Amino acid sequence: MIKATDIDRYNRLKKTSTIHYNMEVNQVLSEIIDDFPDKLAGMEYFYNKFRPLEEGKSLYPKDKKLIASMCIHVPIEIIHALDATAVRICSGAYSADAAGSDFLPAKICPMVKSTLGSIYLDMLPGNANPDLVINPTTCDQKKKIGEMEDEIGKEFYVLEVPPSKDSEEARQYWHRSVKKMVKKLEKVTGNRLTRRKLKNSIKMVSMAQAEFRRFMRLRKNAPVIYGKDALLITNAYFFDDIYNWTKNLTILNDELEERIKQEVNVVGTRAPRILLTGSPSIFPNMRTPILVEKLGGIVVYEEFCSSSRMLSDTVAVDEWFLYDMVPAVADRYLKPSTCPNFTPNDDRIRKILLAMKDYKVDGVVYQTFTGCQLYDMESRKIGQELEKAGYPVLNVELDYNPKDSGQLTTRLEAFMESIKDNKRKR
Amino acid sequence: MQKFKIKKYIDNSNVSRFRFWIQLLSFFLFVYGGYFFIEIGSRLPIFSCPYVEGSPGGCYLIGVQHELHSTWSTIFSPRGISILKSLGIFLIFFIFLNKAWCGFVCPLGTLQDWITRLRKALGFSFVRYDEMSFKRLKSIKYILLFLLILIPLAIKNSFFGLPLLPEGMHTPFCQICPARIILPLFTGDTSQIFVDFTDPATIIMSSLGLMVAAIFLVGSFVKKRFFCFFCPMSALQYFFSKIGILRLVKDGDKCTRCGNCSRVCDIGITEIADDVLSKNIVKDDCMMCFKCVEACPEEGALKVKVVNFDIFSATEEGFFKRYGETDDPEHLEKHGLLNSNKKKDD
Repeated sequence: MIKATDIDRYNRLKKTSTIHYNMEVNQVLSEIIDDFPDKLAGMEYFYNKFRPLEEGKSLYPKDKKLIASMCIHVPIEIIHALDATAVRICSGAYSADAAGSDFLPAKICPMVKSTLGSIYLDMLPGNANPDLVINPTTCDQKKKIGEMEDEIGKEFYVLEVPPSKDSEEARQYWHRSVKKMVKKLEKVTGNRLTRRKLKNSIKMVSMAQAEFRRFMRLRKNAPVIYGKDALLITNAYFFDDIYNWTKNLTILNDELEERIKQEVNVVGTRAPRILLTGSPSIFPNMRTPILVEKLGGIVVYEEFCSSSRMLSDTVAVDEWFLYDMVPAVADRYLKPSTCPNFTPNDDRIRKILLAMKDYKVDGVVYQTFTGCQLYDMESRKIGQELEKAGYPVLNVELDYNPKDSGQLTTRLEAFMESIKDNKRKR
Repeated sequence: MQKFKIKKYIDNSNVSRFRFWIQLLSFFLFVYGGYFFIEIGSRLPIFSCPYVEGSPGGCYLIGVQHELHSTWSTIFSPRGISILKSLGIFLIFFIFLNKAWCGFVCPLGTLQDWITRLRKALGFSFVRYDEMSFKRLKSIKYILLFLLILIPLAIKNSFFGLPLLPEGMHTPFCQICPARIILPLFTGDTSQIFVDFTDPATIIMSSLGLMVAAIFLVGSFVKKRFFCFFCPMSALQYFFSKIGILRLVKDGDKCTRCGNCSRVCDIGITEIADDVLSKNIVKDDCMMCFKCVEACPEEGALKVKVVNFDIFSATEEGFFKRYGETDDPEHLEKHGLLNSNKKKDD
């Protein structure tokens, strides 16, 4: 824990960071909400999810244990089945970046810094105070954070993820790893995993997925919703109650369906349709989608672990007993994942290429956080494949500091203009 | 529009349930059909075993073993044409359903599915082969097929000057086939459970048969479709699978390789998920039960076709209907669906 002499410094840091965090959140929210004229009524629920809570208040039921996860590779079906609340705490806050930097070398991905900082300063979404943080061994930078658990003052659990996903060995390793996590969670929550609970939990997530897939289907043609809004919806899934989330997405989807019928679009049908991929945009770091859309484009698909990768892939259970349900849940987090931490990762290329056709995408913006080697390394191959298929790609590198938006804006602007030009010529 | 609606209805349907009833009907047909004077022919691509009193037909494997139980001179005389003729009849039956004969019609396959149901009812877990064993064991069916062709020939003809095999080894596969011993039990006939003491060859073969039958019962209790993996009929069918009218095709571009298909596969075929290049995805172990199509959430990634006409496709909606819905009140209450008949798609 923190040394007594440091408590004062810690409190000061926490106080200023919290003020900065609230400012940051409010500013990004106002950019997302007020700077765009066309508002969907169904978005109100999701916007409100991000408004800062008063100190001492919490978004989560008090009688349940709270399990935080640092990655999409944590099977949340199991957490929910054990009557605990699952929260994903990957952070996009620049205000937590500085606190995290104290623990880490300079050339580290801002998402890792920010996540570490927000755990340290208790600045997690909905004022979460996790009983356990599950840290999957996906990217190197993230997995090493767990070793600082004593300094940070939270218990970390290392969930071992294999470095590759294609082989049977990797799958067996992962199944065992998940079973071990079940044991740990049973201990932490004091509950036992039962057949009925897990089945209901799988169905709960499945209904959310069905609704999300419907949402994505509605985005395939007419531009009825902005990508920045879509990203807020999936970001809310990090910490929202899944039943409520699904219910509200249903309402929004109905509204979108109505809009499609009446042909009400948020932008003109000639607006460049953009696919975002790379390091994940996590609220409040929404710079890229906001800029793309302020410059007249529309983000129609996000290949992010904060978006489609988290919600698209389904669980199919053959025999509804624990012996088959647990591996089935585990499989969904391994086999279809397009996380660059796995090698080889051709599935990601195939997924993007399919989305290019399905969503009628005009160009790809590939975002890499400074220091995120995995996404950076994959950008080359993905860029080549996309160019081979005749799509323009823009690689942008950014960190969480909102001040250096100038260059990003210029490059995005030029990219948008060239796409618009091409579209006009066609 | 009407056609579109029917297609949607089928895509949303539960093929496994449909299959269960088809299997039940076929089982009765192929075990008791003979009592109702039904006669289907003796070159069927399934284990319609003539040792069963009520069998309305015969398995092609028994036919082929009898036909090859001849000297070369007979085989290459005009009488040998009958061998080609019966292969032709077999193929005519076969091409209609392709390997779906195994998944939907074969009584021995059905029996294994029932044993699986029993295991599930008792709550026991199933066993799967690991990758290495799977690869190693899958050749057994080809070896059996090879032997069931070779042994009858070697009874009548000498190979490389070797002595002839004993007559007691005639129809060698039938002698070790579990269908011969187990299916007659359904007509109350226990006469196949015996060791034939005629000569040493029959003693060995009939004891082997009893052992295989016992292994069949135990094996199919722990492993889904245990026997099909070793079935020489399956091997023989696979040689002609490409000309089948019923087809299972995959669009690899749409596949996310999530593995849903291979994890619900009773045999445990992994290519169905991992192979994104082949269009025809019927593998030698496949029995075309179409559980993979049911478990696929990617629109049109897997399709069942009759020639080029889609009859059952993987759809998002169908997937969630089959795997996402539940009637557990605890779940429905939280979802606000309890006591409400509102369904969003209607």
